[in-house]
Amino acid sequence: MKKIWITAGVACALTLTGCGGGGTPAPKADAGATPAASSGAATPDMENGATITGKVSFDGKAPVMKTLDMSAVPACTAAHKTPAKSEEVVVDDKGDVKNAFVWIKSGLPADKTWQVPTSAVQITQEGCMYTPHVLALMAGQNLDIKNGDPTNHNIHPMPANNPEFNQSQPPGAGDIDHSFARQEVMVPVKCNIHPWMRAYIGVVNHPFFAVTGDDGTYSIKGLPPGTYTIEMWQEKYGTQDQQITVGAKDSKTQDFTIKG
Amino acid sequence: MSDQEKDPVTSSSLSKPLFIWSALLVLSMIWGLYDEVYGIRPWKGYQAKFEKLYSAYLKDLRTPEAQHEAQIKASPQYQQLDTAMRAEEARATPLAKVNTDKVNSLVPKIQALNDPFQEVRSHIGSLTYEIEITSPDRKDSLRKQIVELKAETRKVRIPGESEERVMNFDQMDQTLKGWKDEKAKALEDNVQILAKATSLRKQRDQYLSDRISAASTTTLDSVATSLNSFDIRIRQIHIKDIDLVDRCESCHLGTREPVVLTAAAMGGNEVFASHPNKELLQIHDPESFGCTPCHGGNGAALSSVEQAHGYNKYWLWPLSHKENIEAGCQQCHVKEIVTEMAPSLNEGREVFRLRGCTGCHRYEGFDREADEISSVNQQIHQDDQQKAEWAREIGFTETKANDPRISNDDARKLLAHANDLRVRSSGIDAQVEQLDRRSANLVREVKKVGPSLKEARMKLRKEWIPEWLKDPHKWREGTKMPTFRLADDDRKAIAAFIWQSGLKGQLDQQKPGDPVKGQEDFETRGCMACHSMGEGSQKQGGTFAANLSREGEKANYDYIVRWVHNPRQRTAPYCAFEKRDLTAQDYQNHGLPYVYDLDHDKCPNDGHVLQVQQMTPMPNLRLTEDEARDIASYLMTRKHDNATYEDASYMDDPKLVDKGREKVRFYGCAGCHEIAGLEDEQRIGTELTKEGSKPIERLDFALLGHKAEDEGWMTHKGFFEHKLENPAVFDEGKEKAPQDKLKMPNFNFSKPEIDEVTTLLEGSVDASVPPRYFYTPTPQQQDIVDGWWVVRKYNCMGCHKVHVGQTSIIDGLRRSQDPDWVEQKPPTLIGEGARVNPEWLMQFLNNPSLSETDTNRDGVRQYLHIRMPTFSFSEGEIRKLVRFFAALSSQAEPFIPEKIEAVSDQERTMARQLFTSEGAPCLKCHMDGDPAHDARATAPNFTVAKDRLQPGWVKRWILDPALMSPGTAMPSGLFRKDGDRWVFAGPTPASFNGYTKDQADLLVRYMFSFTPDELARLRAGAGK
Repeated sequence: MKKIWITAGVACALTLTGCGGGGTPAPKADAGATPAASSGAATPDMENGATITGKVSFDGKAPVMKTLDMSAVPACTAAHKTPAKSEEVVVDDKGDVKNAFVWIKSGLPADKTWQVPTSAVQITQEGCMYTPHVLALMAGQNLDIKNGDPTNHNIHPMPANNPEFNQSQPPGAGDIDHSFARQEVMVPVKCNIHPWMRAYIGVVNHPFFAVTGDDGTYSIKGLPPGTYTIEMWQEKYGTQDQQITVGAKDSKTQDFTIKG
Repeated sequence: MSDQEKDPVTSSSLSKPLFIWSALLVLSMIWGLYDEVYGIRPWKGYQAKFEKLYSAYLKDLRTPEAQHEAQIKASPQYQQLDTAMRAEEARATPLAKVNTDKVNSLVPKIQALNDPFQEVRSHIGSLTYEIEITSPDRKDSLRKQIVELKAETRKVRIPGESEERVMNFDQMDQTLKGWKDEKAKALEDNVQILAKATSLRKQRDQYLSDRISAASTTTLDSVATSLNSFDIRIRQIHIKDIDLVDRCESCHLGTREPVVLTAAAMGGNEVFASHPNKELLQIHDPESFGCTPCHGGNGAALSSVEQAHGYNKYWLWPLSHKENIEAGCQQCHVKEIVTEMAPSLNEGREVFRLRGCTGCHRYEGFDREADEISSVNQQIHQDDQQKAEWAREIGFTETKANDPRISNDDARKLLAHANDLRVRSSGIDAQVEQLDRRSANLVREVKKVGPSLKEARMKLRKEWIPEWLKDPHKWREGTKMPTFRLADDDRKAIAAFIWQSGLKGQLDQQKPGDPVKGQEDFETRGCMACHSMGEGSQKQGGTFAANLSREGEKANYDYIVRWVHNPRQRTAPYCAFEKRDLTAQDYQNHGLPYVYDLDHDKCPNDGHVLQVQQMTPMPNLRLTEDEARDIASYLMTRKHDNATYEDASYMDDPKLVDKGREKVRFYGCAGCHEIAGLEDEQRIGTELTKEGSKPIERLDFALLGHKAEDEGWMTHKGFFEHKLENPAVFDEGKEKAPQDKLKMPNFNFSKPEIDEVTTLLEGSVDASVPPRYFYTPTPQQQDIVDGWWVVRKYNCMGCHKVHVGQTSIIDGLRRSQDPDWVEQKPPTLIGEGARVNPEWLMQFLNNPSLSETDTNRDGVRQYLHIRMPTFSFSEGEIRKLVRFFAALSSQAEPFIPEKIEAVSDQERTMARQLFTSEGAPCLKCHMDGDPAHDARATAPNFTVAKDRLQPGWVKRWILDPALMSPGTAMPSGLFRKDGDRWVFAGPTPASFNGYTKDQADLLVRYMFSFTPDELARLRAGAGK
């Protein structure tokens, strides 16, 4: 009898303990968020990584940009010798498209985190325009906002996945520092006081992005070997995707053409 | 064989059966014991499992939490706070120690002296009492005794003193007082000395707790410690007054744990998850509410999951399923259309209301206007009776007073009584006046779910009507109009009746409009807050009103122009007293022009209040006729090009009318539509107010009873879901004459809609909980309850954010995503009660153009394309809305405006300079009266601020607008804190030098003194 009890007791104990086998999943960071800690973060391998260069060109007749009506604010008009034009589409005589944003949209290992540069990216309000008109930075990287005008501006980024903010910046005020925690392409920026002012910020989780210069060219360096989707974004004409495979130390060209 | 050998007692052995039986006995005992310990106590297993999983989870949680905490503690900010705190503590502690030592030395001394002192004092006390109660001759001797007692000395040993002290009563008293004062001072000094250190410690700890979102390691540790002494026992809530025993937490152990437990965290065991809404649990504390009153189930049962959840047969209140979890809210929040934290129930109520369920089914509380009309009429009747009674009593009393046989005193009393009754009677007149106004209001407030069919002949293309009746959902996906199962000849008869009973009014012939402009207006004026446009994936806009993608196929252009221009315009006024639509002749008979509107709403024949408006909630957008033509022209372009319609000449056949009328009555069409001759039709469906507690045997599952039982849906939920999905389902297999078949039409509800309405119906019970469970709102909360009905009725949330967490239809439109269009969105109404002056709000709601002449505009934000329409709210609705917003913002009623200090001349000059300086952007965005500027403006004119706003709100707004309205165009950071006051963050004019007052206050005070002249002066100052 005693044995039965012992057996029963052991069986009961086993039943109880046996039930507790469920594993507890480790807390997992949200895929889009940049972890606060930068330990273990990678940097682009400039020596062995691949380089993608290219040019964004305009095919057809580039649209004529409208003149910005700054007449409501004399301080803004005075800053320009000739009336300023919209920077929605900036194409030179050769068809080179400035201010296009190119980035590796997908293909990088999801679990890899990249070192966030300690240097800040600058955006300046000058002549009641944003300089640069299109800029890019890494999630978590500092954005340094300057007001170089003798008039009051308000910087108002309107992201969808990051917190929105709208900060007054009077003339002579100190710089405003800000950073976006999550990847978002693109974050529109406006100034409510001067409604013609517009900028776009590309916020990316990794360092493989670029904005085309005056000559329409861009380059992305230190990319690990792999197959990627590379995307070009232009304010008016939207996005274009391409697949590209690169090996170690490869140099590849990926051009984009915008049809007018 | 000897006899002895034959004797079964000696020859046969019973050991085998005995062994078998005893083995069986032992086994059954083991089984019995097992069953006793575990079999009927499955919760024990749950508890053991919970403890194991929870301990493991706490361990897992602690490591990252501890790391996170260590990281924060290592941060320079924390270190700085910690160092400062420690430095201050190091400075203050030795100083405090002096005092602490003093206190420590005083305490034993006080104790030592206190005993002999108290002894004498109590003796004196008893002698004093004796003096009070004794005879006068003894008093003096007792007094003497007291004097002696006080003079008597005692030897007292004080700790730390070598000699005994010799003290009389007064000496002891004085010494004790002195020591006590000394002690109090030392303690007080210590508070002062340590104040800074205490405050720094608080700052440091706050810094840490502000940065830890989950439970701190301290909490985790204390939970882990309590788990060490976890015992396996029944955990129950016993609520004595209703004798409720809920043992749910014997298995659902994580429900109220301080550490939030998810199913994933507990190894996928949902049973251990925490209650998902801690706030809800705070309001409905389980210790006083229990679990089952909200969730259902059998709280006392522990023997199996099925029993505890009440899913066994004959248990009347089974646990609500997840998709209907909010059913429990309805039983106590039955009078609300919006209940906080019950989104699914709210949707259910909204579907129930909006899709016209109330057209056929009475549901107490949903029929607010009709119920109120009858209660108002009853009250008027009672008042009239009371008045007549008092008039009679006045007569009798005066007759009695005039009797010469009674005394003057009595006569005066009687006459005074008669006068009192007269005064009270005049009070009734005031009440009746209010009730009459309310009664007229209510005529305006009653709306119908569907359009008036009196207008069908003028509005619709004839051939469209029978086509529509075939299957409204096929013609227009998602329409409110349900599909009736009509035989062809019935359908034709109904179409003929509708056509022939329609009014034959005159419509102005309209010239064509511009459909391109019309589309722009349709998309930007606000139509899409209620109406949707486009089909399939192209569809966008609201679901409050019809999808207009095929309007061009069904409508008459001239009528649509009239409708868009003023949707409330009726072809003829309806007199409920005479039960007919009036004609021009009725007016002519009394020498009156045929004019009927809200200012002319009395019947010329009998003075009763007329229905002078269409009974639609659709408001008037105050568009010009050209705009109305443009929009109508655009709508007429919206059609399927290949649609064909059968010949419908039979609709003119008068022989079909009677049959048509009979069918319209049979199907209860007048529940949703205004139909000539059927204005007073009663509802045809069953009342649903308590449908959830109807005995299950009274729900007619018909031939599906066995199937329902086999498949496990022989429940209220099962009945509702099947009925909502296919209202004819319980006719399956039945042999019925057409008129006996189930009438309820098919609404094509989606699965979520079925769940939501089922939630409402499941919660529609004769609640068995005691009265204290029911939501009894305070007057302010009642204002919120009442206001929601109006807000929902007119779909205010299509354009506005009314409560936190809500998005409007306009927010979701494709156009609203354009950064350039953001400022075109209607203003948020969160905090509206604190923002605006309620008297102004009343005016605005009554006439949103705020102008009697220039009505083609928005009274506040003229730059908006979208337009606050005129809803022709009744006084009652305006009152409810104003009180609603006031209550939501915790405003006191009635409103008393805050007094603000006038600006001095000097301050006015300063404020003017600031307003027009480059550093201050105010007039760049706010309207200033200059038409060119105002077209680009994105904020209201300052001249309306004084009447419209409340100064306290304005100050809070200008200091940090993003706090109230994230994403607003108004920037934050315009002011910065300078000591105790706010100063402008940008450069200020020289006149501000030496100004020491709060600069935000100055601007607010200036704004509240703003006049159009002042604005003109500012414009001139800015060179305009």
